[in-house]
Amino acid sequence: MSPPQQPSSTNPNSLKIRLTHRFLHNLNNLNKKRSNLDNTQIHRRSHRVKLAAYASMARVVGSRRAWSRAILWKIRNRKVFTRNKRVDHKTTHHHHLARSIKRRTTNHSNHKREYVDPNGNSGQEVKLRKLVPGVETMDACGLLDETADYIKCLATQVEVMRNLVDLYSTI
Amino acid sequence: MSTRRSRSRQSASRISDDQINDLVSKLQQLLPEIRTHRSDKVSASKVLQETCNYIRSLHRDIDSLSDRLAELLENADPIQASIIRSLLMQ
Repeated sequence: MSPPQQPSSTNPNSLKIRLTHRFLHNLNNLNKKRSNLDNTQIHRRSHRVKLAAYASMARVVGSRRAWSRAILWKIRNRKVFTRNKRVDHKTTHHHHLARSIKRRTTNHSNHKREYVDPNGNSGQEVKLRKLVPGVETMDACGLLDETADYIKCLATQVEVMRNLVDLYSTI
Repeated sequence: MSTRRSRSRQSASRISDDQINDLVSKLQQLLPEIRTHRSDKVSASKVLQETCNYIRSLHRDIDSLSDRLAELLENADPIQASIIRSLLMQ
């Protein structure tokens, strides 16, 4: 039985194409902002490329998914955060900033060190909730659904980046 | 009345168990390693564990690919880069 035609939003070819476009667009913006940054620091550029990757994923999927909404929210808030604070030229500052924002937004409801789910699930499910953005308070069904979509997008994004690396390194 | 309530609660949990099993098997098909043993029933906890590992490895892939891309973009000839970009964005 041939699978039914998937809607273009979940069709992997269309997703890959849209991710490629969006990622290249974000990278292009990165390059345009070059003159404002001290771009000799490879860590900073690499970190910005990584942010561009996650931003592309979240932009392409839009607000349809909890994980993409969480990422978009984080990005918007970190922009406000960095605008209000003086920009530090140390690269480590940006790493700590991103990580501390992530920690703050994902664990704001978790004050205990050991978290046991109300259903008694611990261990794997809790770990999963920490890995997928935006699913901390979701029920098990929603969590699995979001995880599947998140994995699909992550894998496609990795494929897009690998193709770009191959392309740029053969020049 | 209590039996009806418990019955409905039981049926509700039965439905969501099926749903969860469906979703777990759907997740299982996305994982690279377990895909070969698709016919075997893999336990849900194993699927969750493999999912966590897979997500972590994908995050690591993105990190390392970002490093390489940053390096390549740094050294890429801007004219060739713009040619590539225009080709890809047709």
